[in-house]
Amino acid sequence: MNGVAITGIGIVAPGAVGIEPFRAMLDAAVSAVKPIDRFDTGGLSAHTAALVRDFKARDYIPAMKMRRMNTLSRYAVSAARLAIDDAGTQPSSESGVALGTAFGPVQTSVDYMQEYVAKGAALAPPQLFAESVANAPGSHIAIEFDLRGFNITLTQRESSLLAAAMYASSQIVKGTVPSAIIGGVEEVNEMVFSVLDRLGALAREENGLPERMRPFDRRRNGMSIGEGSAIFVAEATPSRQPYGWLTGFGIARDTTATISDWGTGDEQVAAAMRAAIDDAELTIAGIDAIYASANGTQRGDRLEMRAIQRLFGENVPPVVATKGYFGEYAAGGGFDLAAALLAIRDQKLHASFGFEEADAEMKFAPVSAPRAANLRNILVNSVSAGGGVVCAVVSREGA
Amino acid sequence: MRKADISIRLAITGVGIICSIGRNRSEVWRSIVESRAGIGKLTKFPGETFPTDVAAEVGDLDDLLPIDSREARRMSRSDLLAVIAANEAITQANDGATTLLPRERAVVSTGTSTGGLLEGESFYFDRLVRGRGRVATSRVLQQPTSGPSDAVARALTLGGGVLSNATACASAGAAIGMAGDLLRSRHADVAVAGGSDALCRLTYSGFNVLQAVDEHPCAPFAAERKGITLGEGAAYLVIERWDDAVARGATILAELLGYGATCDAHHPTAPHEEGRGAQAAMRGALAEAGDERPRVDYINAHGTGTLLNDSAETKAIIAAVGEAIPVSSSKSYFGHTLGASGGVEAVISVLALQNQLAPPTLRLDVAADDCTLDYIPHTPRRMALTNILSNTFGFGGSNVSLLFRRA
Repeated sequence: MNGVAITGIGIVAPGAVGIEPFRAMLDAAVSAVKPIDRFDTGGLSAHTAALVRDFKARDYIPAMKMRRMNTLSRYAVSAARLAIDDAGTQPSSESGVALGTAFGPVQTSVDYMQEYVAKGAALAPPQLFAESVANAPGSHIAIEFDLRGFNITLTQRESSLLAAAMYASSQIVKGTVPSAIIGGVEEVNEMVFSVLDRLGALAREENGLPERMRPFDRRRNGMSIGEGSAIFVAEATPSRQPYGWLTGFGIARDTTATISDWGTGDEQVAAAMRAAIDDAELTIAGIDAIYASANGTQRGDRLEMRAIQRLFGENVPPVVATKGYFGEYAAGGGFDLAAALLAIRDQKLHASFGFEEADAEMKFAPVSAPRAANLRNILVNSVSAGGGVVCAVVSREGA
Repeated sequence: MRKADISIRLAITGVGIICSIGRNRSEVWRSIVESRAGIGKLTKFPGETFPTDVAAEVGDLDDLLPIDSREARRMSRSDLLAVIAANEAITQANDGATTLLPRERAVVSTGTSTGGLLEGESFYFDRLVRGRGRVATSRVLQQPTSGPSDAVARALTLGGGVLSNATACASAGAAIGMAGDLLRSRHADVAVAGGSDALCRLTYSGFNVLQAVDEHPCAPFAAERKGITLGEGAAYLVIERWDDAVARGATILAELLGYGATCDAHHPTAPHEEGRGAQAAMRGALAEAGDERPRVDYINAHGTGTLLNDSAETKAIIAAVGEAIPVSSSKSYFGHTLGASGGVEAVISVLALQNQLAPPTLRLDVAADDCTLDYIPHTPRRMALTNILSNTFGFGGSNVSLLFRRA
């Protein structure tokens, strides 16, 4: 089995900075989704999100450099510093960088347009424009750590992080680079939040139930969004005992999906899961747990639930839904992968957050309390609005 | 995890393109042959006061769409450009073949830097005037840069997966290289790979405030060059494993031989002065061609027309490939299509191989002192073309080179 070792994890998450605080937060089953105080949610249906608080980028980035970075870049570079420190080794300069982000620098674009309106098209600040490209965080990581291999940013909605991991892993296995920085990064801002709210995508108070993201729950009515960055050091030959290994990936698209919603083609979602398992040279029986994509949306969770049941039949392994802790999108995808890697390292499943009552057609119950488990391989899913699906297998043994 | 096997040959069986010099590959190639540029006065944003007013625009798209108007209304302009070009590529890949493409195993890999930003800007302006709750959100459904890939896959019923690459101006080149690896590792059986970007206010303003835009049509490698001309467009390749294409009875247009991707790790917007990362990208693409380093016959350069790029790229070409290779910049025809440029220029490279004709660099009267190569000024050059390198570089120091071979 060809695998890629994950030897370092850096986390800048809502409620946790660093991998051990992150682990402690998962173990304590505490959600970081809280009322928003960053911008006004008056007139909107949703009022909560998972925001990064108590984080100071200057603890990780020199002030001179920090001034050139937007919030997104600060999250990513800080998480990369934490990941590299966690790995204990500076990656070689041949190493690559692959990041994923769903919405990227939307806030920077908004800031630019505010200046554009206020000062005119000729006088907006060039520094803001330079940071308005989605690959700015990846570029800053490369400059900060002198990484001259590939530098790629993928923006495939909920699948952004796993798509980036798939690409980086393929390049390591191919021998193009010896190691890579993989990661997800996201920023919650008023523009994205209010649009998602208007589209009805966000969890909201309804029928006397408080606003909460309820993955797989029959009463679910939307997602909560989150921000931050999860960065991973991936190596062909591990420089230390790895958390775990990325051993397989699968990709597909649900052809029934519209350009902005989930469809009903669960066979294509199951095909992506199956492809990841095949790529890891495993059988379905070799999967000991699933870290799900579930984000509390009616259609998205139903699609994934049906796909899991289609593939695993009556023998669905334990399913963990982590996005209730940290919210949706690329950083959330990264946090989900980080949780799966911790599960493999610690041989312990995490509790799902937000699930209470099973959907009528559900034949499995998400894990509700942390518990020890013999975990050889975990399937990690990302199922995107728009139809994209990328799945990965995380393994205890990799080569 | 399956490894991408570089011994697997990759066939290009379809190309599609739309940009300011043509709405399809025939029109585009005719413009290339006739040395006819598609650069003129900016018309898209009347009332805005930019320091420059030159652009390479594509006209109205309504008559070109292979989808119904209701579906089209939900898509951004970048999405629509992408659908038009991808449809042309897929149509060609199926034309005359005994078996049609297996669409359920076709991955869409798109590079874009702006995605639906044009529509996002309109939404933003309307919101300023009318308030947060009074503007239709359907206008920003396709704001994310995942829009073009999702739109192509939806419109053309492709089920092998979607990937969206937002690596600034290197996006589409990276998307094509990534697609090749997915085929070589058998994660997909077909790839529809390329790029799409529509002109928008933010990028037009942004490159102007960076003082990177020439007030006249761009003049890559020229002594008087002052910057880029912004353009828009889309282009896609249909790529298959060679044996699969032969088995389908498809006509093979060219071969995708190699892909190199690197980063300067130097500066957020400026290239490394010696083209350090660009050299490595070209060497990487050549290395994938096998043990025997292939002779490069022509390089379709990134050639933006900025002082920094053209100088650094020239140095990089000399270091990586040598100084005897003819080089040109197709951007002198259709401007810098940003995230789409790697796709647009890949299609130009394939057409050049098919026609055995190297496109020229227009408006190159006197080359700059720091641009010392043979840039094929003014008119196309008929020559034997076996291998072509196509370069695309982007903000953040990302560099991609693609190596194509005559079929």
